[in-house]
Amino acid sequence: MTHSLHRSGDIDSQKKDYVWFMYQTKGINDVNIKPKALEFIAVAEAVGSENWGDVKTGPKLRYSIEEIKDNISDKSRLRGIFTKREQVVDFLKQIKEKDLGMSVIISGVLSEVIPACREAGVTPHSINYSLGVWGRKDKLPDDTTLAITTMCGHHMIPPKFVSHVIRRVKKGKVSPEEGAKMLAEFCYCGIFNHIRCADIINKKVAEEDKG
Amino acid sequence: MPAIDKEKCTGCRTCQTYCTVDAIMFADKKCHIDPHLCTECYVCLRMQVCPEDAIYAEELVGFYKQFQHVISDPVENHGVTGVTGRGTEEVKTNDVSGRVKKGWIGLSIDMGRPGLGVYLRDAEKVAMACAKAGFKLAPQEESPLAALMPDSSTGKLEDGCLDYRLLSVIIEGRCEEEKAKDVLRALKNVEKEVDTVFSVGLISRVDEKGHCKALEFLDELGIPQPHRGKVNPGMGKPLSKD
Repeated sequence: MTHSLHRSGDIDSQKKDYVWFMYQTKGINDVNIKPKALEFIAVAEAVGSENWGDVKTGPKLRYSIEEIKDNISDKSRLRGIFTKREQVVDFLKQIKEKDLGMSVIISGVLSEVIPACREAGVTPHSINYSLGVWGRKDKLPDDTTLAITTMCGHHMIPPKFVSHVIRRVKKGKVSPEEGAKMLAEFCYCGIFNHIRCADIINKKVAEEDKG
Repeated sequence: MPAIDKEKCTGCRTCQTYCTVDAIMFADKKCHIDPHLCTECYVCLRMQVCPEDAIYAEELVGFYKQFQHVISDPVENHGVTGVTGRGTEEVKTNDVSGRVKKGWIGLSIDMGRPGLGVYLRDAEKVAMACAKAGFKLAPQEESPLAALMPDSSTGKLEDGCLDYRLLSVIIEGRCEEEKAKDVLRALKNVEKEVDTVFSVGLISRVDEKGHCKALEFLDELGIPQPHRGKVNPGMGKPLSKD
C-alpha cells in the first residue's frame, strides 16, 4: 500500500518524519516471522521509535508493547516512525548487522533518506517515488488538515475530527500534544507521527491567534 | 454495515465528527448513515463514538459489500493478497519479489486518496485508460482490485460494482520503461474525467544514488520531480538482482 508515501505539508516539517516498515514476502519468507519481528521491535525501541505498531493490534500509543508483541502472527505488519535522520541511520545499521532477511522500507523526504542509507552502509534497491496528488484537488480539505490526515495513509482520521481537536486546543481544553495523541488513536498501523502533529497544531493555533 | 438505531439516537451529532467521508446525515433530529456515501471503513464502530451506543453493525450482504469493507478497513486482511486492507506489497518487498525488474516501471495509483473516497466507476476509468496505453495491470495475487476485473488487459470492472464507494483502492501494475511515458500521459488525460483525487507512486529499480531513468522524462510531461519516496534498501533475502 502507499500509505506512508504521499504525506503532505511543508518540507521542513516532513524532514522530521520518517516511516519504517518490516515486510515479509508472500510465499517466500512469510512463515514464523515472530522471532524476527521481535528483533525489529527491539531495534526500533533501542533507537527510540516514537510510535510503532501492528495493524492487527494497533499502535503503541494505544496498546501496551507486550500486547502488541503477544498478538504478532504471520499476518502482522510492523511499522513505525522516527523523527530524526540519525535514528534512521542507527536503525538501518543495526538491522543490517542482524541480517534478518526481511524487507525493510524507509519512507520520507528523499534528500534525507538517501544520504541516511549511505551513512548506514546500505544501497537503495528500489524506490516508490511519490508523484503527488492528481485529479479533483479542489475538493480536498485545507493544507493543515491534509498535513495531519495524510499521516494515516489509510485515512482513518476524519477531517472533521482534526478541526474538532484544533478547536479544543485553541480553547485550552487540551494541549497540542494531547490533541495529537487523540488523533493518533485512529491510525492502527502506528505510523502516525504525533510529535510532528503537535507541531502542526501549535503552528496553526498560533497563526489563528495572530490573525 | 454500520447503522444507527433511531430509538437510541439522541441527535447529539457527535458521530458526524468521526466519519471519514461525511456519510452521517442529520434529519428529523436524528442521525442516519447514507448507504451510498458510506465506505464501510468502520471507524465509527471501532472508535465507539456514540455516547448512547446507537451505532451497530448490520450484516454485509453480498460480495461487493464485503469487498468494500475489506478494502476500506485496514484492520481486515484481504484473502488473496494476504495484505491488510487495500494494501499491496508493491515496492515494499521488491528486493525479494522482483516484481518490478530492471527496465520496467511500476505504478501504484491510489484512487480516492487522500480522503475523498472513490466510486469504482472512477477507478475503472483510470484502469482502462492505463491498460489502453500499454500498462499491464497486476493480477489477483498482487492486487485486490483485480478480483473485480474479469480481463486485466482492458481494466474493465464488473458492472455490478461500479456504484460502490471505497475509502480508496489501488490500481497497480507495470510496463516496460519505454512505455511509461505513454501511460503517464494517459493518466494525465484521464485525471480530468474523474470526480475524485488519486495519488500516484512510480516504482523503479534504482542506482546507488537513488535515481532511475523514468525521472528524466517527468519534466517533459509537466510532472513535478518527486521529493518523497519509499526506499527499499535491499535487505530482504533472497535478494532479487534482476
